[in-house]
Amino acid sequence: MFKQLIPRATARSSALRSIQHPSHVSRLSPSTSLLQDRIVQRRGYATPAEEKDLVIIGGGVAGYVAAIKAGQEGLKVACIEKRGSLGGTCLNVGCIPSKSLLENSRIYHQIQHDVKNRGIDVGDVKLNLTQMMKAKDTSVSGLTKGIEFLFKKNNVEYIKGAGRFEDQNTVAVDLTDGGNSVVRGKNILIATGSEATPFPGLEIDEKKVVTSNGAIALTEVPKKMIVIGGGIIGLEMGSVWSRLGSEVTVVEFLGAIGGPGMDAEIAKSIQKTLAKQGMKFMLNTKVTNGDASGEGVKIDVEAAKGGKAQTLDADVVLCAIGRRPYTQGLGLDKIGLETDSKGRIVIDSEYRTKIPHIRVIGDCTFGPMLAHKAEEEAVAAVEYLTKSYGHVNYNAIPAVMYTHPEVAWVGQNEQELKEEGVKYKVGSFPFTANSRAKTNLDTEGMVKFLADAETDRILGVHIIGPNAGEMIAEGTLALEYGASTEDVGRTSHAHPTLSEAFKEAAMSTYAKAIHY
Amino acid sequence: MAGVVNTARLSARLASRYAPRQSTRRRLHVSSRQRAAQNYTMPALSPTMTEGNIATWRVKEGDSYSAGDVILEIETDKATMDVEAQDEGKLFKITQPDGAKGVKVGQRIAVMAEEGDDLSSLEMPADDSSASASSGKEEKQPAEDRKTDSASPKQEASSTGGSREIDPGVSDPKEMEKPYAESAPTKPAADRTQKHYKYPLFPAVQQLLHEKNISDPSSIPATGPNGRLLKGDVLAYLGQINKDYPSALSARLTKLSHLDLTHTVAAQPTQPDQPAQKGEVPASKPDIELPSETEIAVPISLSAVIATQKRVQSTLDIFLPLSTFIARASELANSDLPARKGAAPSADELFNSVLGLDKIPRSSRGRFFPQISGISPLPPTRPARKAKKADIIDLLAPKAAKSKEVGRGQIASALGVSAGDNVFSVLAGRGEEERATEYLERLKMALEKEPGRLVL
Ligand SMILES: Cc1cc2nc3c(=O)[nH]c(=O)nc-3n(C[C@H](O)[C@H](O)[C@H](O)COP(=O)(O)OP(=O)(O)OC[C@H]3O[C@@H](n4cnc5c(N)ncnc54)[C@H](O)[C@@H]3O)c2cc1C
Repeated sequence: MFKQLIPRATARSSALRSIQHPSHVSRLSPSTSLLQDRIVQRRGYATPAEEKDLVIIGGGVAGYVAAIKAGQEGLKVACIEKRGSLGGTCLNVGCIPSKSLLENSRIYHQIQHDVKNRGIDVGDVKLNLTQMMKAKDTSVSGLTKGIEFLFKKNNVEYIKGAGRFEDQNTVAVDLTDGGNSVVRGKNILIATGSEATPFPGLEIDEKKVVTSNGAIALTEVPKKMIVIGGGIIGLEMGSVWSRLGSEVTVVEFLGAIGGPGMDAEIAKSIQKTLAKQGMKFMLNTKVTNGDASGEGVKIDVEAAKGGKAQTLDADVVLCAIGRRPYTQGLGLDKIGLETDSKGRIVIDSEYRTKIPHIRVIGDCTFGPMLAHKAEEEAVAAVEYLTKSYGHVNYNAIPAVMYTHPEVAWVGQNEQELKEEGVKYKVGSFPFTANSRAKTNLDTEGMVKFLADAETDRILGVHIIGPNAGEMIAEGTLALEYGASTEDVGRTSHAHPTLSEAFKEAAMSTYAKAIHY
Repeated sequence: MAGVVNTARLSARLASRYAPRQSTRRRLHVSSRQRAAQNYTMPALSPTMTEGNIATWRVKEGDSYSAGDVILEIETDKATMDVEAQDEGKLFKITQPDGAKGVKVGQRIAVMAEEGDDLSSLEMPADDSSASASSGKEEKQPAEDRKTDSASPKQEASSTGGSREIDPGVSDPKEMEKPYAESAPTKPAADRTQKHYKYPLFPAVQQLLHEKNISDPSSIPATGPNGRLLKGDVLAYLGQINKDYPSALSARLTKLSHLDLTHTVAAQPTQPDQPAQKGEVPASKPDIELPSETEIAVPISLSAVIATQKRVQSTLDIFLPLSTFIARASELANSDLPARKGAAPSADELFNSVLGLDKIPRSSRGRFFPQISGISPLPPTRPARKAKKADIIDLLAPKAAKSKEVGRGQIASALGVSAGDNVFSVLAGRGEEERATEYLERLKMALEKEPGRLVL
């Protein structure tokens, strides 16, 4: 009940702002006048800098979640973002736009290739790429605006501009609308995120040679596309364009796709599935050179361990070899903060730099570059400030690849367990034996549990399946609670659902599955 | 929750979460129609609150309240706070009146009824709260009480509202099937003891407890997150697996749950915008000429190891000498040490680092072995005294003796080692300082933080 008062007050006070002079503040209730003060502060940058409890640099997932959380905890907080919209990589050019394209391209592909079997005859199916991009943009702008609203609701001051350290407590901001300003913070949180690692020797123009930024905004479907790097981003974007009609070749240096963390057996299996869908794979292959001077792009490749060279042609080359922390222009050197050899800002286990009131979270520091990881850290970092304890369990952070079928996992994979010499049991269950998957005519994939051989405690869950990304939540919860596969197996799962495969895979780990 | 506390309002429903188990939770299947009065206990208004005073009841006995009404004010040493109702209901009885002082969190302060209950015919539920709020000794008493009380089905059916805790027994299929009269008097032990847990037991745990007739799960050491009892704990208790295994596994998983910052090496300051020019630029160190070998030392406390040693001896009756712990820790610490400085990366390695593939090992197994000296807490940077003669360790770890990297030395034999800080040192050749430091840090970690792992 109390919570609801806040947005109402905000709305009112900002409305008042436009018609009234700030001197009318005295008429407002105390909480409203507080808001009013901040609004004045935000508008009039000439006002001498008031010291915030927390200044956040970067309005990506890490930064915006921290800002909202800090606002909820009653801190005076400002968040600086230079992009022009909140949500960072994830909302503007990452998770959200890519998932929009994945979903819509999948529907397109399914209508073309699959619905006939299901008794649906469709006439002429045509792609309207412009409209597909528009649908994506609508999702993005809706969500980023939503965050702006949440900022208002939680009293977060949103400063549009690029921040850089002046000293340990002062951040100078080059405002997007021109001019500059200064904010001071008792605490400062760095959440400046990451950027695509460029490929040496290939200049990114985001038209012919693109990173994911360009790949989510192509204006026509390339006839041939080469994806350098068979990690999650490469495979997702490769899937999109492959479904829309591109001939996609993925060139991967390592012997497996999926990137670090994906279970080897799962990686092999999804590679087969994607190959069936039309993607081509060149594993153990390294790109030695690229030339984009002609009409298309030429890429020289050779076997990773040395071998015969080959030249590939493409209309578009997507460079998806990884992402690196982004701290350019932040002035870390000015205050003596260090990064490691990969550019990650050095922190301790409570996200503090060696200047203890400056903390770092998200992609620009250690750990997997995932939005939900950034989000967990954001809450924990603010709780370290306000409650001196925060919780993030890095062993229970799920990873999802949104191809079709999806791939999702949490905890450790077989390679890692072998490497550590842990004795483990494997239990799996294929979707071909799951009634719902069968009814849906969507039976590719399986659920696989890895459990400690002695105690049956779950060590990892790996899924390929139509809704693996949703299903992994249960595995994450089980891991967080220290559950055994028997605990999952003795828990009822609705029939007929895909989640029964999850239960049966658990059963097959400690006993036997019923339906397989 | 903190947000709620900030506003000095707590819902009655929320507060009941803190209350120990209510008496009215078994046999939900009896009849959902029958409503019961509900004990309402002193809520914990902050994580540290242990007791409070009743300032004023704002609702009187027999009065109804609705969601959002302030029910009472509670005084703690820090502040006076309103407690607000989240659902509608009726105040049946106040058991701690205005002005009651030092009421423990979890102690019953009132009994609430549902809106529409006929108060004249409503029975008071048993007060099982006071016991659990005070000493553990009395804890069993109310459980027995409850058993007798439960003869009245009226109190059994608590079907409405709120986040009440559910007795693990409820979800026990065997219990559910049994006719009521049979189950109540027969299984007192299991019934009573399961109540020590504030959360429902995992299904696999319940199954095992029943299968194996374990009456008192609270006596089983629990190694799960936040002290949760796991299937593996019960298996270990039953002797089906090694007793120390579950805790070793938990230690491993706890380690995985943290960001691995142990290998963090700050890059040499480079030109801004110059991507990853690997850190190995020898010239940039303002160091004076380095001696060819440096002794690097770190104080390590053996108290945790000695405690583990005692535990192992008392539980397994096996005596593990300290040297074994140290040898195993050393083994661990030597694995995958960062590559020696100046070891030029191969072309492939360089290429891979440009690609951002960090899978390529930039590490190798070390062959360090510590020299242990002194009981004195020397500052870590001061070179430690040279040690004397050789010993058991060379026998235990013959590999170490062969190596040149080895600062050959002795473990100051079990006698000379102090339970407090000992200085562990190694000799590092030029360019190996980082390796050596890393080695010592891991050794320290293994011996001080997780000596249990070394037992396996
Ligand atoms: C194509 C793609 C798909 C992805 N899909 C997923 C997915 O499905 N699931 C998932 O979990 N993750 C996904 N990710 C990763 C996810 O986007 C990142 O992990 C997440 O965005 C990290 O959040 P962050 O806040 O740390 O950084 P960012 O989101 O990068 O935000 C940092 C922000 O800081 C701003 N900034 C930087 N410097 C300054 C400065 N000096 N002053 C002011 N502002 C500054 C930047 O403009 C940026 O907006 C994907 C990434 C990409 C590229």
